[in-house]
Amino acid sequence: MSENLLVGRKPRRGVTAFIWQLGIYGTYFAQFVKSRLAYRMDFVIDTLAVSFSIVIQMAVLTTLFSKVRSLDGWSFPEVLFIYGFSLVPLGLFNLISVNLYGFSEKYIIQGKLDRVLLRPVGTLTQVLCESFSVSGINEILLGIGVMIYAGRELGLPLGIQQVLGLAVLAPSAALVYSGVFLAITSVTFWFEDRMGLAPPVYNLIRFSRYPITIYSLPVRLFLTFALPFAWVAFYPATWFLGSPGFARVALLTPLVGIVVFSGAVLIWKRGIKRYSSTGS
Amino acid sequence: MSEPTTEAVRADRLVPWGRSWTATLGLYASFVRLSFLKFLAYRLRYYTGVISYTIFISGHYYIYSALFRSGTPGPGGAVTIGGLTLPEMVTYVAVGWIGRSFYFNNISRQLSRMVVEGEIAMQLIKPFHLQTVMLSEAVGESCFRLMMFTLPITVVIVPLFHLLGPTDFALYPWTFLSFCLALVIYSQWNFLIGCLAFYLKNIQGVLRAQMVSMDFLTGVLIPFTLFPHWFQVVVQWLPFQGISYIPVTIFLGKRTGPELYQAIGLQFAWAIGLFILARLVFKFSVRRVIAQGG
Repeated sequence: MSENLLVGRKPRRGVTAFIWQLGIYGTYFAQFVKSRLAYRMDFVIDTLAVSFSIVIQMAVLTTLFSKVRSLDGWSFPEVLFIYGFSLVPLGLFNLISVNLYGFSEKYIIQGKLDRVLLRPVGTLTQVLCESFSVSGINEILLGIGVMIYAGRELGLPLGIQQVLGLAVLAPSAALVYSGVFLAITSVTFWFEDRMGLAPPVYNLIRFSRYPITIYSLPVRLFLTFALPFAWVAFYPATWFLGSPGFARVALLTPLVGIVVFSGAVLIWKRGIKRYSSTGS
Repeated sequence: MSEPTTEAVRADRLVPWGRSWTATLGLYASFVRLSFLKFLAYRLRYYTGVISYTIFISGHYYIYSALFRSGTPGPGGAVTIGGLTLPEMVTYVAVGWIGRSFYFNNISRQLSRMVVEGEIAMQLIKPFHLQTVMLSEAVGESCFRLMMFTLPITVVIVPLFHLLGPTDFALYPWTFLSFCLALVIYSQWNFLIGCLAFYLKNIQGVLRAQMVSMDFLTGVLIPFTLFPHWFQVVVQWLPFQGISYIPVTIFLGKRTGPELYQAIGLQFAWAIGLFILARLVFKFSVRRVIAQGG
């Protein structure tokens, strides 16, 4: 008995540690799904609500395009394709990182972080794993559906290359989302603000789905370098569209994702060291 | 140490039906005041709200600018989409959001939480109509919003986008009256949605669906004139146009003379109609309450 416990506490490094953390991730996810399925009706309603909001957003796009042929040179199917793509990383982000929203309220003010710190698993892994938004799966599927529809309208090829492209670009873009929100969340270790900057940044998401050429140069630079939301939808989506100039830039998405997310993890780690409990 | 008779009179006053009109008004006015003060305590929270609203308006500014660049010029040489020129469209978007910063409230969420957590029982034993209290609190919240939220946004937005004000000065008070009626319509609709919690227990999904569809149906996101004809007919028969589309088009001077009075009258009718409907629905739904201790 005691031997087993000791084995369980052996420090893990490198690949073993990573696989072990993944296993924990899986366990957390399974538990979460079980607890959600206990309230099946909620689950169904939540799924419907997500689909409904996507329908509304598509209605907005369709209405805007009902009066003009193109938006600054971008046709309706192209804009629709970018929108469809944007849903896939957003779904991945919602699925895994939903707990970052409202983190300071739940973990710092209510003091739930104390419990997290007591356990022998990475703090970030725990916080990310304690809540999932299962409706993110819905966003991913609908997004792929919209991409396929818009892609057909545009006569885009659909093959193994495109599938692989999505498999690389969508998670990379999701890393950008997660990195941005992780950085904003980590700031709450320094400023104990309830909601902080998250809502305005969250509200920016809906404007990152449009071709960034419609924005003025300062806004474009801001979205590319300062708050890199141009990388969550527009740049990666242009790879599929083959837009001249942008399609090459799109290939930088994985790099941007890794840089943004690692930077955010560093801020998080410094923040955790600074953390002192509220005592509640 | 007063005589028991005065005590009895005081107790009698607590029964809602035995109260004078002025006392009733005073009671609800105190809820307006308290709610105003409560929000004043959390005013810091609204600074990021100013940033959010500026982002919304700026984002739409760019989208509509691009849309107008791509549009074909009409006979007059200027591009119009849905009967609006670009400056009018920008004003439409800005005034819509500025108005939203005033009438917005979360009554549906508050009411559903009361029902789910059982706090509703404590509210029901108090000598007031919960619906009127929540309306009063919404009025108090909007007074706060007007000062601490709507005003700063206006100060930021108006010079930023060179907004057009109406040349007819009378349109300002009309727009304000119209947005006040919007507040009543919005709060009563929210109250009705909150009443669903009596039947569904968890209405998170409903609240979310409401949140995403409201801005669309009220006309904040897109002016109704851009919609296909059949949809314009549908929204004519819904209360939501009275929340944003009517006040904003009044501001733009698109309704003059009898049309203006007609629009305000329609808002009045919806405000009163929804108030009565909400009272009836609440009265009926309250019978379903089963409080487990508390």
